[in-house]
This record gives sequence, structure tokens and C-alpha cells, in this order.
Amino acid sequence: MARLKTNLYDVSKCTACRGCLVACKDSNQLPAVMEPFKGNYATHEDTNGNTYTLIRFIEHEDPVDGVRWNFLKYQCMHCLDAECMKVCPKKAYTKTEWGATIHDEAKCIGCQYCTYACPFGIPKYRKHTDTVTKCTLCVERVEEGLKPACARTCPSGALSFGFRDELMQQAEERVKFLRANGFPRATIYGKVELGGTNKIYVLTDTPDKFDLPVDPKVSANTWVWQDWIRPYAGWLIPVALGASAVSFVTNRLINKGDDHAKGGHE
Amino acid sequence: MRWIPEYQPDVERVERFNAVARITHWGHTVTFLLCLFTGLILFLGGVDWLAAIFGGHRGAGLVHRIAAVGMTLMLVFGLLFGFKGYIAWIKDIFRFGMNDIKFLSIFPLDFFGVKMKIAPQTRFNGGEKMNSVVLMTMVSLLVLSGYIMWFPSIFPAGLVRFSYPTHDLAMIFSTLMVCMHGFLGSLHLGSGESFWGMWKGTVRADWAKHHHAIWYEETYGDKAKAE
Ligand code: HEM
Ligand code: HEM
Ligand code: SF4
Ligand code: SF4
Ligand code: SF4
Repeated sequence: MARLKTNLYDVSKCTACRGCLVACKDSNQLPAVMEPFKGNYATHEDTNGNTYTLIRFIEHEDPVDGVRWNFLKYQCMHCLDAECMKVCPKKAYTKTEWGATIHDEAKCIGCQYCTYACPFGIPKYRKHTDTVTKCTLCVERVEEGLKPACARTCPSGALSFGFRDELMQQAEERVKFLRANGFPRATIYGKVELGGTNKIYVLTDTPDKFDLPVDPKVSANTWVWQDWIRPYAGWLIPVALGASAVSFVTNRLINKGDDHAKGGHE
Repeated sequence: MRWIPEYQPDVERVERFNAVARITHWGHTVTFLLCLFTGLILFLGGVDWLAAIFGGHRGAGLVHRIAAVGMTLMLVFGLLFGFKGYIAWIKDIFRFGMNDIKFLSIFPLDFFGVKMKIAPQTRFNGGEKMNSVVLMTMVSLLVLSGYIMWFPSIFPAGLVRFSYPTHDLAMIFSTLMVCMHGFLGSLHLGSGESFWGMWKGTVRADWAKHHHAIWYEETYGDKAKAE
């Protein structure tokens, strides 16, 4: 595989200006989606068919520090071992050489298996196209040598784009710095989670404080379903049909000359 | 060559299934097969021609859900109007004895058409008992996991992810049974007469005596008549 190219998001530098959200909408030509005011600062509760990324506001009470505000840019994590890709019955997902999870709307039938398999619930159904949609990691821009729209826009330097190994090093240094400077629980997210993701986060606190799954795992159920039942177990049905067909013939061969109308009466 | 044994109205016949049982059975058959073919589209992945029959993937999804509701209604209908029948059915399944074991051990040969001497059977023979248990369990699993998959947002994510393999396995085991069951209940020479029991309600008395001796004695035999 070619070198992975990744988006790094450093929450400690983010000012929640939502420039990335607007840039993403603009670049992907997505209309605005208005949601009713829910009593906090978030524009959207979650990703939706026309919103690939958003800033989440998470409020939590800390016995020591009092009320804390956390925000987090939320979008597809481009998992290296992607659940969405495993469950899709139409094989609408592919991985680019450099690690983006790409969704092909032309193949998608809108069944939403991926929505419920994704550990982050990212792909969302969009009614007017009858498909799901999600962050593309700006594959077209990146392949032209540009940065993703959100990373290009970010005014505070919270979002950067580049080779994953280099960014991972930067992230590790940043976490060391943060731990020494008032954020003892600072951590990287996406290095080991789910076998690594192709979006990495530098967090100022533990993942649960950002409403992220702490130790997401590839579900054993999905594995059984996709790697075992779908490819192998289905063969039992043609075997049963075949046995019946054979029986149909042998029945009539063995009982040749009998009065079939009687239905096997001795 | 005959496909199914001819229906003989002029010989002595005895009732095997009442109207409620017959309506429920064929109602389940139709909805089950609709669910099966629409579900297979997703299970197999690449069968767009099958999807086209139902007007594309959206249409197939809709048919799957309509048939699913129909199947649920058939369950409710059967329980409401045929509750006694269900109880009698389950009771008969539990009358599992030596005769059923003997039946099951020689059944493979009988299935392929070899004439065998069969131990006397109750209302449902060993094979039908097995069929009943497998289908009752698998259809219940299909219904439960199906509704969870239908409304994933109101169930815990772990349960939803468990439902997909459950739905598929239950589909496979039930369909495997239904393939052989449908064949035995119609085109199989030895047991084909049972089709008329499910279709018109009655079977030939001599066939019933031969295939379900214990049931026949208890229901239509001399002792039962005397009471
Ligand atoms: C009350 C009964 C049932 C309900 C509520 C139900 C519901 C569902 C739902 C919601 C799906 C997900 C696909 C979609 O969104 O269209 C599904 C898939 C499926 N269903 Fe059902 N279903 C029921 C009965 C059955 C039966 C009787 C069968 C066949 C014997 C069946 C076979 C399948 C198959 C093969 C799939 C595809 C699974 C895969 O992609 O691997 N279902 N069902
Ligand atoms: C494919 C076409 C089918 C045919 C021709 C068929 C035929 C029959 C017949 C003739 C009987 C009566 C057997 C007896 O005399 O005891 C029967 C019973 C039964 N059928 Fe079906 N059937 C079909 C499909 C189904 C399906 C789809 C289901 C459920 C998913 C089902 C479930 C049952 C059950 C539970 C019984 C009672 C137990 C037994 O006798 O095996 N059948 N069927
Ligand atoms: S975050 Fe979800 S949608 Fe994105 S690659 Fe991972 S599983 Fe797929
Ligand atoms: S909604 Fe589309 S992308 Fe998601 S699993 Fe279904 S077909 Fe695949
Ligand atoms: S990478 Fe592109 S598609 Fe993804 S959130 Fe950023 S701007 Fe949107």
C-alpha cells in the first residue's frame, strides 16, 4: 500500500468556528440543513444526508474542574478496517490506496446496513437520492494534489493534512506537550482504535468526554455474518433443493409401474 | 406421470386440517416465500434481476415489510381463532417416542422412494415433528430479529448487530426445511396425499390409516366412534 494520507484534528487548537463545516458544504455542494434549537451550541445533532461534518458540543460536569465544555469535529473516521465496507451488500465502499473510505452513490441502494454497522453511525440516509452519504476525505481534491476543503479552511491550525506516519509523530509530541501543560489525560484517538483510523484526533481528555466510543471493536456478530454465514452457510439451501430433485426422480424410478395415483399406499 | 396423487372424492375421506389451520398455513407459505425472495436479493448481493421483479431495491424492501406484517397478522389470526389447534399441535410434538426415532432412522430411504415398513405414527410423524419444531423456532427468530432490523434506532446497537446473523441463519435453516417440506407435502409419491389434507381439509381414510395409524385409531377408529 502506498503511504497513507491523513487528516489530523487537534482539539486543543480548535475554536469551534465551524469554518470546516461551511467549507465542506461548499466543496461538496450540499444545501444547508436547519435544525430546531436544542438548547446548546451545536448546529446539528449528528451527521445527516447533507452534512458530512459538524462540531459537537459536549458539556460534562467534573467534580474537580466544574462544568467543562468540549467540542469535537465529527465526521467519518476512514477506519483502516472499515465496518461499513464489510456489511454493504452492494459493495458500494472502496478504499483508496492512501486510505480514504469512498462511497459510490451509484451502487448504493439505501439499505442503511452501513449506518448501523459503523461504530460512529456516520453514513446517513438522504431521501432525494435514496442513498446514504458521508465524508469523502475530499478524494477528488486530494488526488489533484490539494488539501481537503475543511483542512484548507481551518484558520487556527487545528486541522492539518499529510502523511499518516508524519502526522502521527506530530500528534504524539503534541500529546506529550499537552500532558505537561494542564491536560494530564490528553490522548491520541485513531492510532490503535479499530486497527487504526485514517483520521486522527488529538484529544485534551479521555475519549468518553468527547462522546467517542472508548474502545470500539469490530463486532464479532458482523464477522460471523459477513465472513462465515454469507459466503458458506447459504449452500445448505441448494443442497436441500438438490436432494428434493433427486428424490423426485428416484421416487418415480423405484416405483415405476405402481399406481401413482394411490400415493404410495402399500 | 403424475405430479401429485389425484384427489379422489368418491372414496372414504377423513378430516385432517380445519379451515383456520389451512388459511394460516397457506398464508404463512405466501408471506414466507415473498420475504424469502425479497430477502435473498440482499443476502446474495448481486442479483439485480431478482430486484427488478419487485420494482427495484426499494420495491423489494417494501414487499419484504408488507409480507412481514402479513406474516405477523397470520400468526395473530392463527392464535386468535385456532388456539386449541396450536395447543393440540404442540402436545402432539411432545408425544415423541420410539416410533418417531424408528421413523427418522429409516426416513432417508423412504425419502428417496424405497418402500419401508413404518412404525405407527401419531398425528404428526417423526419428520413432521422435527419440521414443526425447526420452523416454529426459526420463524419466531425471523420475526423477532426482523422487527429489530426494521427499527434499528430504537434498539441497542449490539442487539441490532446480533440480529443480522440471526436473521440470516434462521432464514437458511427454515428455507432448507421448507424446500424438503414443500416437496414432501406435494410431489413426493408416498406422502403426496397429505397435500389434499392441507388444501381441501381431508385425506383418504386408507392413507391416514397407513401413515398415521395411532392418530387414525384415536380419532376415527372403532373406539373413537363408539364414544
Ligand atoms: C416479521 C417478519 C420479518 C421482518 C420484520 C423482516 C425484516 C427484515 C429487514 C428490516 C431486513 C433488512 C433489509 C431491509 O432493510 O430491507 C431484512 C432482511 C432480510 N430478510 Fe427479513 N424480515 C422478516 C421475515 C423474513 C423471512 C420469513 C425471511 C426468509 C425466509 C427473511 C429473509 C431475509 C433476508 C435473507 C434478508 C437479507 C439479510 C442479508 O442482507 O444478509 N425475512 N428482513
Ligand atoms: C412450499 C409449499 C408448501 C407446501 C406444498 C406445503 C404443504 C404442507 C402439507 C401438505 C402439510 C400437511 C402435512 C400433514 O399432513 O401433516 C403441511 C404442514 C405444515 N407446513 Fe407446509 N407446505 C408448504 C410451505 C410451508 C411453509 C413456507 C411453512 C412455514 C414456514 C410451512 C409450515 C408447515 C408446518 C409447520 C406444518 C405442520 C407440520 C408438518 O406437517 O410438517 N409449510 N405443509
Ligand atoms: S467511520 Fe464509519 S463510515 Fe467511516 S470508514 Fe469507519 S465504519 Fe466506515
Ligand atoms: S446504504 Fe448503501 S452503502 Fe450503505 S450498506 Fe446499503 S447499499 Fe451499502
Ligand atoms: S474531508 Fe472533505 S468531505 Fe470530509 S469533512 Fe472535510 S471537507 Fe468534508
